[in-house]
Amino acid sequence: FWNKTILSQLYSGYNQPCQKKKKKKKQMLSFGKLCQFIEAAGHEHRPDMQKSLLRAAPFGKCFLDRFPPDSFVRMCQDLRVLNAVRDYHIGIPLTYTQYKQLTIQVLLDRLVLRRLYPLAIQICEYLRLPEVQGVSRILAHWACCKVQQKDLSDEDVARAINQKLGDTPGVSYSDIAARAYGCGRTELAIKLLEYEPRSGEQVPLLLKMKRSKLALSKAIESGDTDLVFTVLLHLKNELNRGDFFMTLQNQPMALSLYRQFCKHQELETLKDLYNQDDNHQELGSFHIRASYAAEERIEGRVAALPKNEFAAKATEDQMRLLRLQRLLEEELGGRFLDLSLHDTVTTLILRGHNKRAEQLARDFRIPDKRLWWLKLMALADLEDWEELEKFSKTTQQI
Amino acid sequence: MAAHLSYGRVNLNVLREAVRRELREFLDKCAGSKAIVWDEYLTGPFGLIAQYSLLKEHEVEKMFTLKGSRLPAADVKNIIFFVRPRLELMDIIAENVLSEDKRGPARDFHILFVPRRSLLCEQRLKDLGVLGSFIHREEYSLDLIPFDGDLLSMESEGAFKECYLDSDQTSLYHAAKGLMTLQALYGTIPQIFGKGECARQVANMMIRMKREFTGSQNSIFPVFDNLLLLDRNVDLLTPLATQLTYEGLIDEIYGIQNSYVKLPPEKFAPKKQGDGGKDLPTEAKKLQLNSAEELYAEIRDKNFNAVGSVLSKKAKVISAAFEERHNAKTVGEIKQFVSQLPHMQAARGSLANHTSIAELIKDVTTSEDFFDKLTVEQEFMSGIDTDKVNSYIEDCIAQKHPLIKVLRLVCLQSVCNSGLKQKVLDYYKREILQTYGYEHILTLYNLEKAGLLKPQTGGRNNYPTIRKTLRLWMDDVNEQNPTDISYVYSGYAPLSVRLAQLLSRPGWRSIEEVLRILPGPHFEERQPLPTGLQKKRQPGENRVTLIFFLGGVTFAEIAALRFLSQLEDGGTEYVIATTKLMNGASWIESLMEKPF
Repeated sequence: FWNKTILSQLYSGYNQPCQKKKKKKKQMLSFGKLCQFIEAAGHEHRPDMQKSLLRAAPFGKCFLDRFPPDSFVRMCQDLRVLNAVRDYHIGIPLTYTQYKQLTIQVLLDRLVLRRLYPLAIQICEYLRLPEVQGVSRILAHWACCKVQQKDLSDEDVARAINQKLGDTPGVSYSDIAARAYGCGRTELAIKLLEYEPRSGEQVPLLLKMKRSKLALSKAIESGDTDLVFTVLLHLKNELNRGDFFMTLQNQPMALSLYRQFCKHQELETLKDLYNQDDNHQELGSFHIRASYAAEERIEGRVAALPKNEFAAKATEDQMRLLRLQRLLEEELGGRFLDLSLHDTVTTLILRGHNKRAEQLARDFRIPDKRLWWLKLMALADLEDWEELEKFSKTTQQI
Repeated sequence: MAAHLSYGRVNLNVLREAVRRELREFLDKCAGSKAIVWDEYLTGPFGLIAQYSLLKEHEVEKMFTLKGSRLPAADVKNIIFFVRPRLELMDIIAENVLSEDKRGPARDFHILFVPRRSLLCEQRLKDLGVLGSFIHREEYSLDLIPFDGDLLSMESEGAFKECYLDSDQTSLYHAAKGLMTLQALYGTIPQIFGKGECARQVANMMIRMKREFTGSQNSIFPVFDNLLLLDRNVDLLTPLATQLTYEGLIDEIYGIQNSYVKLPPEKFAPKKQGDGGKDLPTEAKKLQLNSAEELYAEIRDKNFNAVGSVLSKKAKVISAAFEERHNAKTVGEIKQFVSQLPHMQAARGSLANHTSIAELIKDVTTSEDFFDKLTVEQEFMSGIDTDKVNSYIEDCIAQKHPLIKVLRLVCLQSVCNSGLKQKVLDYYKREILQTYGYEHILTLYNLEKAGLLKPQTGGRNNYPTIRKTLRLWMDDVNEQNPTDISYVYSGYAPLSVRLAQLLSRPGWRSIEEVLRILPGPHFEERQPLPTGLQKKRQPGENRVTLIFFLGGVTFAEIAALRFLSQLEDGGTEYVIATTKLMNGASWIESLMEKPF
């Protein structure tokens, strides 16, 4: 403790107007010695000793040019914290070395475990710890304990937590809710989840708590279609078919998403969905697609199109055409099926069956102008110039 | 590297660098030599972010396309799958993993989902028993890709169909995420305007996502003043008309993909002395088109009829510059001339290319059919005879012109008439089915659902009101020195761009009535900024508006917006974002259903 003595003497000595001594004492000071002073203060347990040692430091600082103030400031802060915890109300007699080894985080944890929340929060704010490391953790811990308080109602707990926490960043409502659920307080958990903005956390927890319908609404609200799908698949396994479809009915967005899914994966279900909706137009399209994929084309489409007049007529026409095409294929050979009417007539002309072509055109009522263009192009293809000349003499339009 | 991205008011290189950095970090995570298995769909957009050279720097030695059965042999330590989160792709990946040759050296598998992970896909991998084989499973949020200094696109092909026909919001979710990424880099956007159902949904998602990130306060000074979200179905007309700007025509005729165009090679063969062209290249000529090329930046947004004069002027300038070599006498002057040579040669090459392209386009635009088609389009857009069957369209069907051309015209008529009379509609439909085949009935149904080809409801045609109030048809249009955005279609002002123009000045309150006729809600939202970041605009400084087209945008509309940006007293500069860069043909094609 000779440093202490020297500096105390210096200090007291300084108050004496003795110029000569000042110069000599100045040389005795050095950077290292000043650091030692500060450290010595740290090891002191009594506040008054700490103060006197610390007071010496700024005094000494005047003599040194560039002594960084950081260590001094930090020491002051540390000492305040240590003094606070050493206080007999709290009763943690840490030494400085222990404190440094533990680190502030662990100290905070200890405080929090002892439910000394206000002190912990004060320390965080005093030390200016970033929110995520400091205050948020403490609040989260406090909230987790609060949910275990069985004497308060769910409403009150939820409100109290929300009031304290607000929108503090880094606090995960879903963690707190999970804790509440763990204690068996499901309703409270749901109320807490209301405050959770991240749907990615909200929804899986709701699923775990078997609140699938609520999970579905939340997922839809978020707009994250992947999340919606996850819930849908979950629901599909959970509910029976009837209930599942009923749930879908109430959520149009989920319904359309599920339809998309079925289009790629489960076509049969798609048909059932359309049936249930009385969605004739879609059902019609479904059958049309299916008919092209399947072998027997004609019959598949019969059931499909009652409501839409145009489509019904067109389908009838197509069925007639297909039957005719099949006959043509049998009689004349070659490919006719699935050609458009236009192409069918063209093919007939190209193969010299003009009469049949005309018959077909009349049957399906191809308008004259279009028929003339068709003939023109076909005859030109054939390079049947005679026929073409004959034809052009009979028409004037083109 | 991507200098052309920094030219605009907003430096989009920042976004590109951020995205590249993320890619590098992921590649480095999988230490050792690598081979990438690509989802083909992603190769185009990725090319705009990172060239093979970057990948090579991170030990990527081979690249393969994703297909079934076994992976090709490659002596690498890691295999990384770059895929979209789609179930059918998961099946292929599982096949690859399961048929891995056990006898060869063990390879580590990783998977990178673009743009987002999917619980659904991971479940599928789990069901197929391969989920555990992947060491790193990550997502790479590549939503908005910078195409040029003022242009961003998600290149999401199915976006329009998904949003408007299937009620599938996934692309909207990705759009919202993309906007959040932009805001993280360029600051929170203080004001959001929107028109349309999808716009409303995107705005809601943005606000919700903002709440999820209350932790990290954004301390970046905001670059954008406004965001304008527009549904494509607010303006179904514009993409149907044939674009008449230089870039628009290139897209219409040849199709521009990820800034590249493939052209017939004949006109680009280098003129060899004496060969007489017997070595004509057979492979299509591929050119990159963006504003890094000076000449292109100058002519891309002009009406095609004004391009010729620019090219000839340029030719004179370049010839004169080359002639300068005769004037260079001292060594110093010669040296200076030589240092300029590369630039001049590049300019000359550029001029040659564009002269050839212009010739190719001219061949099309001077054809009789093009003229007839354009006449009919313009008749419809100016409101003439939109309620009767059109004889040109009939002839096109009778002569079996390409179906997409016919569909475009028929839809154009329908939109300009607020839907066709049932008789007219049925007639067209019958003609089409009889000529092109019954299978197109599905496409016709899709077009009806999208609102493009539908019966008139309510017996009223709203289009003339809209046209007159918003001044969509301008008779006196100056193609050489335009004064109004209608030059991009030689008379028709794109509805979407007009809406943006009016929002900026004098505001949408002046067109409340028309807005009510157009589909979907219109709204305004404010996002609070932390104090200290409030933007104080200098007098004379323009606002910066980010305009996001949900469902696709055409090059002509982009040209029109650029025109507005450089107006003297415009007051607003635009940065354009969209789900997809498209034209009428690719748009209709995305709505077609081909059952076989």
